[in-house]
Amino acid sequence: MTRKGLTYEGVAVAGIGMVRFGMLAERPLAHLARDAGLLALHDAGMTLADVDEAFVGYIQPASMLGIKAMKELGLTGLPVTNIENASATGLVAFREAAWAVSSGRADVAMALCFDKFTDMARGGGRGSGRDRIDAPILPAAYFAMWAQRRMHERGTTVEQFATIAAKNWNYGAACPFAHRRPDHVVTAEEVLAARMVAEPLTSMMCCPPDDGAACVIVARADLVKARQPDRVLVRPVASALQSESYAPGHVFVGPVVGPATMTRDTALECYEAASLGPEDVSVAYCHDAFINEELEYYELLGFCAEGDAERLVAEGATGPGGRIPFNTDGGLLARGHPGGPTGLAMLHESVLQLRGEAHGRQVDGARVALSHLVGGGSVSTVTLLQADQ
Amino acid sequence: MARVPIEEGYFRVPADPADLPRLLGSRCPSCGEAFFPRRLVCANCLHEGTTDVELSTQGRIHTWTYCHVPMFGKKDADVAGYGVAQVDLSDGPRVQSIVRGGPGDLSVGLDVEIDLETLRTESNGDEVVIYRFRPVAPRASEPAAGEAQ
Repeated sequence: MTRKGLTYEGVAVAGIGMVRFGMLAERPLAHLARDAGLLALHDAGMTLADVDEAFVGYIQPASMLGIKAMKELGLTGLPVTNIENASATGLVAFREAAWAVSSGRADVAMALCFDKFTDMARGGGRGSGRDRIDAPILPAAYFAMWAQRRMHERGTTVEQFATIAAKNWNYGAACPFAHRRPDHVVTAEEVLAARMVAEPLTSMMCCPPDDGAACVIVARADLVKARQPDRVLVRPVASALQSESYAPGHVFVGPVVGPATMTRDTALECYEAASLGPEDVSVAYCHDAFINEELEYYELLGFCAEGDAERLVAEGATGPGGRIPFNTDGGLLARGHPGGPTGLAMLHESVLQLRGEAHGRQVDGARVALSHLVGGGSVSTVTLLQADQ
Repeated sequence: MARVPIEEGYFRVPADPADLPRLLGSRCPSCGEAFFPRRLVCANCLHEGTTDVELSTQGRIHTWTYCHVPMFGKKDADVAGYGVAQVDLSDGPRVQSIVRGGPGDLSVGLDVEIDLETLRTESNGDEVVIYRFRPVAPRASEPAAGEAQ
């Protein structure tokens, strides 16, 4: 078995669109998908007639939702493939869309993802029902246990976790697409004083449930250049995707995202496929559904040596003006985490940063953006985007 | 009144309440790795065909948390809060489980023993139970964990 990342050739982002995440109970799922899709088509200067293939992702337990949602954008006969990889769904849908173009089988491909936690909460959702062996163990508990282990092994403090959370809340305030946009500067003290969910994680260290939709359209780079000659060209460079590798101590029942090394290995594959390294990355997005994850990923994604993540927090290296800003749209914690669309929202923000259009949170001179997600069940994926100079 | 597992195939409820419940696992006859829950193909060496075993009743906490918001996002919980741990069983597998005790009672490295928790009582009187672990006081000589096959 040889395993390596995908390297994309001649592909560029043509358009992006997203519906601001939140509890959008009154808006039908198909309309959320339609609105995100139309925004991306408008951004690309296209209609569905220009799109050769679509990859549609959601984690709702429902059949054929992808086809139904696509019909809201038009009925052009294009092939539609449903993709589901838990929280990693959006990045995986994008991976397939970018590969469809890179491989030459499509000139234009769309990744469209949508989800409604408000629907899933009404019943029938994944993890619903209490007659399951893993029902009492929640994702928050799983990640809280990771935090406890870190505190035990490395002496990490809750204040350090809370400092990262406050950073992401405050980034959310600056991002018009964020669910949580606090009207004041959030401090680590406020984060720590919030309601305890699973020790040591308070509610302000856990992402909210969300509804939302997001869409990214990719196309042959020459087509994008011709349509948008004045815009910074943003190219998907490479991606990698892994499922779990077995190691002793592997947990099989309950929320699991696999061994932490999965993120490190996926990132290494992606860097190699892109001929880039962490030192080339200007801005990064990671699965900060529970805030201790972000601290771990500083190390696992290669931005500091093992055991140095706490120093990055102390230096403010991952916040505004820092060496490697993380989750400039607030991350899963503040921008929100509907499930399927989350990865595409990361790419949406990445593209804004690389175009220089992330007003109020712009990373100066951003050229390379990394997006990383893990998904329960369990997968890890990393995508690198690069702006042409 | 009977004690019935929340889900079949994961643990055995002993007839005598004085006996400990047993987690149902598998051991690979080729490489010796043990797993919970049961599986046909060894995750370690890919050997096809494992041996059913009942796993050790004893373990040690690898990591833990205490959930103050039970069934976070769910409405049907009837407990105030509960501990959750990853427990390394003395014969190999690491399992996630609810664990008895408050946040002050739990710590990494703590020795624990399997137990049952009643989640609810059905209208016919059956008690729906799930496995959990409970801290055990350190003893001078721990009896070797048995492994019924």
